[in-house]
Amino acid sequence: MSTASENYIPGHAAAAPQAGAVKLTMILSGAVFALMMVFGLIMRAAQGQWIELDAALFYQLLTAHGAGMVGTAALSGAAIMWYFGGRHLVLTGGIFWAFLGLFLLGVVLILGAIFIGGYGGAWTFLFPLPALSGGAWEAGAAAAFMLGYTAIGVGFLLYYLELGRRIHTRYGSLARALGWNLILGREDNDPPPPAIVAAAAVTIFNSIGIILGAAVLAASLVHLLVPGFEVDALLAKNLIYFFGHVFINASIYMAVTAVYEILPEYTGKPWKSNRLFAIAWNAVLIFVMAVYWHHLLQDVVMPPWMLVVGQLVSYFSGIPLIAVTAFSTFLYVRGSNMTWDLASALLVLSVAGWSVGSIPASIDGMISVNKVMHNTMWVPGHFHTYLLLGEVAMAFGFMAWLVRGKTIARMNGLDRAGFAVYLAGAAGFVTVFLFSGAASIPRRWAVHYEEWLTHDRIGTLFSVLVVLGTLIFVLRFVARLGRSEG
Amino acid sequence: MQPVVLLISLILMAALSAVFVLAVRAARDPAPGPGANAKRTGLIWAMTIAGVIVSVASLREWPHALASTGDALEVNVSGGQWWWDIDTTEIPAGKPVNFNVTTEDVTHGMGIYDSSLTLLTQVQAIPGYTTQITYTFEEPGSYQVLCMEFCGVAHHDMVNEFEVVAAEE
Ligand code: HEM
Ligand SMILES: [Cu+2]
Ligand SMILES: [Cu+2]
Repeated sequence: MSTASENYIPGHAAAAPQAGAVKLTMILSGAVFALMMVFGLIMRAAQGQWIELDAALFYQLLTAHGAGMVGTAALSGAAIMWYFGGRHLVLTGGIFWAFLGLFLLGVVLILGAIFIGGYGGAWTFLFPLPALSGGAWEAGAAAAFMLGYTAIGVGFLLYYLELGRRIHTRYGSLARALGWNLILGREDNDPPPPAIVAAAAVTIFNSIGIILGAAVLAASLVHLLVPGFEVDALLAKNLIYFFGHVFINASIYMAVTAVYEILPEYTGKPWKSNRLFAIAWNAVLIFVMAVYWHHLLQDVVMPPWMLVVGQLVSYFSGIPLIAVTAFSTFLYVRGSNMTWDLASALLVLSVAGWSVGSIPASIDGMISVNKVMHNTMWVPGHFHTYLLLGEVAMAFGFMAWLVRGKTIARMNGLDRAGFAVYLAGAAGFVTVFLFSGAASIPRRWAVHYEEWLTHDRIGTLFSVLVVLGTLIFVLRFVARLGRSEG
Repeated sequence: MQPVVLLISLILMAALSAVFVLAVRAARDPAPGPGANAKRTGLIWAMTIAGVIVSVASLREWPHALASTGDALEVNVSGGQWWWDIDTTEIPAGKPVNFNVTTEDVTHGMGIYDSSLTLLTQVQAIPGYTTQITYTFEEPGSYQVLCMEFCGVAHHDMVNEFEVVAAEE
C-alpha cells in the first residue's frame, strides 16, 4: 500500500536532485529581492520628498521594481516547486538550466530597456502606452522590454512543459494529479501528494496565462513596428491583466509547496491530500483565472456579468485560502510541539500574511468600494501584504530550511532580530499603504502633494526595516551555504 | 466611505492575525481533537453565507447605474497626455451629473476629488470607448480631476478642476 504520507520521510533532502541549481536560483532571488527593495525604498523616499528624483527615473524604477519583483517571486516560486517536485518526479536538470538562462536573458533585456532605453511604461503596460511615451523612450526600448518578457515566458513554458510531461508519466493524467479520484470518491491507492496537486494546477493555469500574455505581447510588438496596426485597447487590457494576475498568483501557489513539504518535518504530521484539499485546488484553478476581472471594475464598458464575476470570485477565493490552507496550518501547528527556527517561523508567517492580505483584496474587489479605492495606495497595500509577508516569506523560509544544518535548533539572537525586524517593518509598511489608500492617495504618482508626505515618510522608515531584515536573511543564507559546502 | 472600509478591513485583518498568534501559542497544547473538522465545515458555511449576503446587498443596486438622461446634466470630459478637458466649468449642486469620458491617446483614469482631496468616484478612460458615470455633488466648492491610470512620465501632472455652484431655485 502506498499513501501520500509515505512521501514524507524526515530529513530526506538528499532525495532532491538539482539542489545546486535550486540553491543558485535562491541566491539570485535573494539578491534581486534585496536590490528591488532598495528601488522601492528610493521610490518611497522620493514620494516623501526626502530625496529628489526625476519623475522619468521614478517611473523607470517603478517599472523595474514591478517587473523585477514579480519576476523574482515567480523565479523563487518555480525553484521551490522544482525542488519539491523532484521528490516525487524525475525532472530533467537541463530544462531548469535552460529556464534559468532564458530568465536571465530576459532580465538583461528588461534592465537594458529600462535603464539604457529609458522605458518606463509599468510592468502591466496598457496598450498603446508603450508606443506613445510622449518622448520619454523610443519604440526600440519598448520592444526590448517586451522581448525580455518573451524570453522569460518561453523559459516558463519549457519549465511547465517538463513538469506537465513528468506528472503525466508518473500519474497517468493531469486529472488524476489534480486529485479527481479523491474528489469523485474513487479508489486511488497512489494519490498525488499536495505538492503534485499544486504543480498540476499551476502548470495548467500559468501556461494558459503565459500564452494569453504572449498574444498581447505579439500584438504590441507588431504595433510598435508596423504603424497602423491597431489593437482594441480594452481587449489588450483584459489580456495583460489576465496574464499579470495569473502569473503573480502562480508564484505564491508554487512557493506554498514549501509549506506542504517542510512543515511536516517540524510538526511530525504529514500534509496529506484529501478530498477537501483536492476540491480546494480545483476551485483555485478556476478562480485564479476568473477573478482577474476585478482589475477592470472601473472599465464600465465591460459586460456587467464579468464585473459581477470579478466581485464574487474575489470574495469566494478567500474560502479555499482561509478555510483550507490557513485552517489546516492551524491544525498542523496546534499540539505539534514544534521547534521554532527561522524556517518554520517564516513559513507559518507566510500562510498568515497571505491570508491576511486577501482580506483588503476582497474588500477592494467589491465594485462599490473599488470606485473609491481602485488605483489608490490601497492596491499596493494589499498586494505587498501577501507578497512581502506571503510569497517572499515562503522563499526566505525555504532558504533558511535549505541551510538548517543537521539538527533543528531554535532561533538564535540574530535570527530573532531578523525575523522581528522583517515582520515589524513589513507589517508597518503595508499598513501605511492601506491608510494612504483610505486617504485617497493615488498609486503610481512620482510626485506627491504636501498633504500626503507624512504617509510617505512613515512608509519609508518601515521600508528601511524590511531591507535590513532581508539583508540579514540573505547574508545568513550565503554564509551558511559556504559553511555547509566548505 | 473610505474610513469605514479601512476600519472593517483592519478589524478583520487583526482578528485573523490574532487567530494565527493563538495557533502558534497552542503549539504546546494538546493536539486538536476530532471536532476540528466540524469547525472547518462551520467556517466554510459561515464564509459562504456571509459572502452571499454581502454580495446580494452590494450588487442589488448596480454600482455603475447611470441617471436617466432626462434629469441629469451631461458633462463631457476628454483626456490626453497630459491634460483634461472638461466642457462644463460650473456644475450645479444637487443635480445628478452624467460624465461622458473619452481619451485621445492612451488609457487614463478620471478620478474626481473634493477640496479636501478625498476621492469621490472614478472611471477609466479607454481609447476607442466612451465611459460614463453618474455623480451628484452635494456641496458647492472646487473639485479636482486627477489621473488614476498610469499614462506616462507626466501622469501625476494630469490634473484639472471645476466648480460646483449652489443650484438656483
Ligand atoms: C522594502 C520592500 C519594498 C518597498 C519599499 C516597496 C516599495 C514600493 C513602492 C514605493 C511602490 C510604488 C507605489 C506606488 O504605486 O506609488 C511599489 C510597487 C510595487 N511593488 Fe513594492 N516594495 C517592496 C517590496 C516588494 C515586494 C517584495 C514585491 C513583490 C514580491 C513588490 C512588488 C511590487 C509591485 C508589483 C508593485 C507595482 C508596480 C506598479 O505599480 O507598476 N514590492 N513598491
Ligand atoms: Cu492620464
Ligand atoms: Cu495617468
